[in-house]
Amino acid sequence: MLARLAQGEATVSELAAPFDVTLQAISKHLKVLERAGLVVRGKDAQWRPCRLDSTPLETAAAWIDTNRKIWNDRLDQLDRHLQQLQATGKRS
Amino acid sequence: MTNSTHTTELGELTVTRVFDAPREMVFGAMLDPEQLTHFWGPIGSSTPIEGIVIEPWPGGRFETTMVPDGSPIEAGFVMKAVFVEVVAPERIVFKQDLPTGEMRTVSTYTDLGEGRTRVVIHQTNLPPEYTTDEAQAGFNSSLDRLESYLATLAR
Repeated sequence: MLARLAQGEATVSELAAPFDVTLQAISKHLKVLERAGLVVRGKDAQWRPCRLDSTPLETAAAWIDTNRKIWNDRLDQLDRHLQQLQATGKRS
Repeated sequence: MTNSTHTTELGELTVTRVFDAPREMVFGAMLDPEQLTHFWGPIGSSTPIEGIVIEPWPGGRFETTMVPDGSPIEAGFVMKAVFVEVVAPERIVFKQDLPTGEMRTVSTYTDLGEGRTRVVIHQTNLPPEYTTDEAQAGFNSSLDRLESYLATLAR
């Protein structure tokens, strides 16, 4: 479904077409994606096209980058600290 | 330290390291405020001992203040977490409530013999609306598929 939306707006029926499931099942899945902020739906009551919003994915990617850097720094420094600790321990 | 690997999924982070130090020593460093000052602040910052609280039991506080070099402690970034699990010398779990939801950090310590220890840090950042099993299952499978799709576009 997201793959289809990555190509552009689509209606619920268009999204449902490739799957052997009811429209209700598709709507339920869409609601999860809407709550997750990945899918935005149009205001037109008749048509209500859905489109993909990739912002949450970009936010997730930024979060991963920041935290990876923090943990890498932290573990680099922990390694140096442990080496020092052991060197001191051997001397005493 | 002999290697460093990363595997990444959306909203999740795993960092693995092997240290040339015995497991008790590595585990102990993670829960000792004095030792934390030597490594906790990322490069370009420090973690002064007066800003550290470690209550190493389930429900206990885990707080640090990371201060950018050259700044006063008041300008530091305060992390407030709560321990969920502390199993010496194997595993530490703590969680943080963030505006974006709950972040959970699990660290595991494996004795590799000959005084070597593998540490795996696994972090997940799950906004509250994703934490029901149903939502998470749907969300994860959708993301898996989106990720595969984006990979085909990138080719």
